[in-house]
Amino acid sequence: MKTITTKRAPLGGNLPRREFLRLTAVSGAFLAVGCSPGVGGNSEITTIDPAGGTDIPLNQFIVINTNGRVLLYNHRPEMGQGTFQAIPMILAEELEVDVEKIEILPSAADEKRYGSQMVVGSRSIQTEYANLRNMGAAAREMLRQAAASRWQVELNECKASLGEIIHTSGKKLTYGELVEEASKLTPPENPPLKAPGDFKVIGQPIARRDVPAKTNGAAIYGLDIQVPGMLYASVERSPVFLGKVVSFNDEKAKAVPGVKAVVKTQRNVWGHTREGVAVVADNYWAANQGRKALEVKWDTGGLEKNSSATILKKYKADAAKEGVSLSEGGNVSTVGGEGKVIEAVYETPYQSHVCMEPMNATVSVKEGKAEFWGSTQNPNGIRSQLARQLNIEPDNVAINYTFMGGGFGRRSMTDVAEEAADISLQVGAPVKVVWTREDDLTQGPFRAASLNVCRGAVAGGKVVTLEHKVVAQEIQNQTGDKMEAGRQLMGGINTEYEIPNYRVSGVLQKHYVPITYWRAVYHTTNCFAHESFIDELAVAAGKDPIAFRLDMLKNHPRYTKVLQTLAEKTNWNGPKEEGVGRGVSILERSGAFTGMVIEVKKENGKVKPVKITTVVDVGICINPDTVRAQTEGSIVMGLTATYKSGIRLEKGAVAQSNFHDYNMLTFEECPPCETYIIQNEEKPEGAGESGLANVAPSLCNAIFDLTGVRVRKLPLDLGVIG
Amino acid sequence: MASLTLRINNRDYPMEVDPQMPLLWAIRDFALLTGTKFGCGISQCGACTVHIDGEPVRSCVTPVSGAEGKSITTIEGLSDDNNHPVQQAWQEEQVPQCGYCQSGQIMTAVALLEKHPQPSEEQVNAYMSPIICRCGTYVRVKRAVGKAIEINQKA
Repeated sequence: MKTITTKRAPLGGNLPRREFLRLTAVSGAFLAVGCSPGVGGNSEITTIDPAGGTDIPLNQFIVINTNGRVLLYNHRPEMGQGTFQAIPMILAEELEVDVEKIEILPSAADEKRYGSQMVVGSRSIQTEYANLRNMGAAAREMLRQAAASRWQVELNECKASLGEIIHTSGKKLTYGELVEEASKLTPPENPPLKAPGDFKVIGQPIARRDVPAKTNGAAIYGLDIQVPGMLYASVERSPVFLGKVVSFNDEKAKAVPGVKAVVKTQRNVWGHTREGVAVVADNYWAANQGRKALEVKWDTGGLEKNSSATILKKYKADAAKEGVSLSEGGNVSTVGGEGKVIEAVYETPYQSHVCMEPMNATVSVKEGKAEFWGSTQNPNGIRSQLARQLNIEPDNVAINYTFMGGGFGRRSMTDVAEEAADISLQVGAPVKVVWTREDDLTQGPFRAASLNVCRGAVAGGKVVTLEHKVVAQEIQNQTGDKMEAGRQLMGGINTEYEIPNYRVSGVLQKHYVPITYWRAVYHTTNCFAHESFIDELAVAAGKDPIAFRLDMLKNHPRYTKVLQTLAEKTNWNGPKEEGVGRGVSILERSGAFTGMVIEVKKENGKVKPVKITTVVDVGICINPDTVRAQTEGSIVMGLTATYKSGIRLEKGAVAQSNFHDYNMLTFEECPPCETYIIQNEEKPEGAGESGLANVAPSLCNAIFDLTGVRVRKLPLDLGVIG
Repeated sequence: MASLTLRINNRDYPMEVDPQMPLLWAIRDFALLTGTKFGCGISQCGACTVHIDGEPVRSCVTPVSGAEGKSITTIEGLSDDNNHPVQQAWQEEQVPQCGYCQSGQIMTAVALLEKHPQPSEEQVNAYMSPIICRCGTYVRVKRAVGKAIEINQKA
C-alpha cells in the first residue's frame, strides 16, 4: 500500500500545534499554513483525515483517504489570482466530488512531477486546463474500474457522482472504499471528458478556500517565515542604479545591539549586477538600525547625470528611426495619398509593481545544500538560480513557496532569493532578507517606459493606413550589443482590425534602468497609445467609436460580441446624460478579449471617473466570481497607473521613495465597477489581467469626449484637465 | 535594550527589546504573531493596523515602549473562530485576493463600526481610504462594510 507522508515547513510562529490542528479541523486541510509541503525543517507525518485512515494518491494531484476524504493539490503559487481555488475546481469537475468537501493543499515545488509552476501572464488556467481535466478524469475512471471489478459488472453500468461510484442497480461504494484497488490500476491515457454543458463545478462562483485564512491572520506569506537559527538582513543599496561598492566602514553598524555581521552582496537583474552591503542581525529592526549606521563609499560611474528628461530626449531622438518591422500588411507608404492624415505621440513612464508584501526571501545554505522559503511566482526558477549560483545540483535545492502578498510580475524574478543565498553562504546561517518599501520602490525592476508614435489616415469613414512605432526597452534584451527590436515590444497592438495598410515597428532602447514583467506588460503602454489613436481616427472619420471599431472587426465574432454587449450594457446608443463623457477601448490579452467603457464627469472643476463597465470573454470561465475580482483589481491597478503615479528619475535614481510620493488609488477614489462575462464554450483563457490595459485608453477617450482635451502623456493630472 | 511585557490578545508576552523599536516588529518578530503586516514603515498604507485600548493605531510607527501596559489587539485576537461580524462579512463578500493588506483593512473596519455603528459615507471613507490595497479589492471592501453593518443589526 502506498502512503504519502505530508511534510511541511515550520509554521511561522503564530500557530502552535494545537491551534494548527484546530484550524485544520475548522477550515480544512493545511490551508492555514499556506506553505507548500516541500522539504520543511520540522517535517512531520500526518494524514488528510483527522479520524485516521490512509492517504492514497491516484496521481500527483489527487489523494484519497480510505475514509473517503479527498485532497487535491494546487501546484501553482497563489498571489491573489485565484488559482488556489480554480485548479482544484477543474480537477473536482472531472473527478466527480463535492467541491465543498475537498481539501486543498499547495503542492510541493517539483517540476519533475508538475512541469512549470511559474505563475505569469495569466497562463495557469490556459495551459493547465486540459491536463487537469485529464488528471481528474483518469482518477475517476480508475475508481469506476475498481468498482466494476469489485462488483463484476460492466464499466458502463458504473457512474461516478459526488465521491461515490453508483451501479445501475442502486448499490454504491465510496471513493474511500475503492481507492486502494483503484491505485493499483494503470491510469487511462485518454479518459473520457465531460461535455461543457454537463459541468457542475466549472462556471460556478464557488467561495475561495484561501479566504478564511486571509481574514484571521493565519495565511503565511514569505515575510512570516521563521526558521530555527534564522538571522535577518537589511541591505544598503547604491544611491544610483548600478553603483559599485568601493569600500565600507561597518564599525558603527556592528555596535548596534543584535547586529552579527556586515557583508558585501550582489544580485543579478536581467544581466545587470546590483551590489549592496548587507547588515545581518538577530532581529529585523536591529538589521535596519545597523544599516542606517553603515558608511558606504560608492562608485556611481557618472550615472547621476541621468534623469527622466535625458531618457526622454534619447527616446524622442530615436523615434525618428525607421524601426524594425514587427508586423505589417499592405503598403503604408501610400499614407497621405488619400484622405486625412493624423499623427500622435504617446508617452508612458516606468511603473513600480509595489506588491503590498515587500520583497523578501529566506534561504539556508549549508553543507552543499540550500533551502528557500518565501513568496514566489517562480519556484522552479529559484531552484535553478540557487543551484547555478552555489554550483550544486538542483536536487540539493529545496523550495517552499508560501502565499504571496502580491506578485504582478515582480515575484517572477529570482534576484531576492539570490541575495538571501549569497548572504546565508557568507554568514553560515539561515537568512531572511527583508527589503524596505523604499528599497522596493527605488530598485525596481519596473514596467518599461515607452514612446509610441502613431500615424494614420482615414478616407470615406474608414482607416486606410495605420503605422504604430514602439520605442522602448525590451525585457529579454537589456544588456549586450544586440540592438534589434523583438516582437515582445508589440504586445497589446491589435492587428485584428481590418486595415488595408498597416505597419507595427519597434525601436529598441537599452538603458541602466532595469525593467521586467509588470501585470499585462507592454499591453499597458501600447494599448493606451493604440486604442487612443483608434479613437482619434474615429473622430477624424466622424464616426462613433464603437461603430467605427465594429466596422473594422466584421470577421471577428468575439470582439464583435464584446463590443455589442458593451454597447447594450452601457446604453451606448441611447441618449447620453448631460455632463458625462464616455470612452471605449478593446483589447486581447492572454487569449481573453475585453472591452471597457469608462464614464467621467466634472466635479468641483476636476474630472472624475464615475462608472466603469467591462465586458470580458475568457472563454469557459472556471470561477466567475474570481474573474470579476480580477477585473475589479485590474481596474484599480489601471487607474493608479493612469492618473496616480509614475516613476520619475532624477540624478540616476528614482525620485520617489514610498507611498507618500508614489500614490495608489484609494478606497474612496474607486468608482463603481460593473463586469459582464460572455458565456461561451471556447477554451479557457487568462483572466488575471482582465481589463487592466483598457483603463488608460478608455479613461482618456472619455476625457476627450467630455472636454475635447486629448491626453497623450501618462500619468495624467485629473486636476488640470480641460 | 529593555525588558518589557506586552499584553496582546489578553496574553502576556515578555521580551528584551530596544524600547524605540516599532510595535510592529515586537508583535511579528518577538511575539511571533505574523498576522499584522509590514507594508511601508512610515504609516502610509495601514497594513500594520492594530488596536491599542480599542483605538486603531499604525504599529509601524508606534514605539514598543509606548504600548507597554496597554491592551493590544491584533487580527489573531479579533475572534476565536474567525467569526467576528467583520470577518464574516469579508468572507461572504470574498474580499481578499492576495490577502496581505486585509488584516489592516479588517482591523480598521472593526474600529470604524465600534465608533460608528451606522457610519455615514464620509465616515467610511475617512476610515477606509488610508488603507492601501494593491490588488484593488476596494469594491468588495465597500460591500463588506455594508454587510458587516447588516450582520451587526441582526445580532
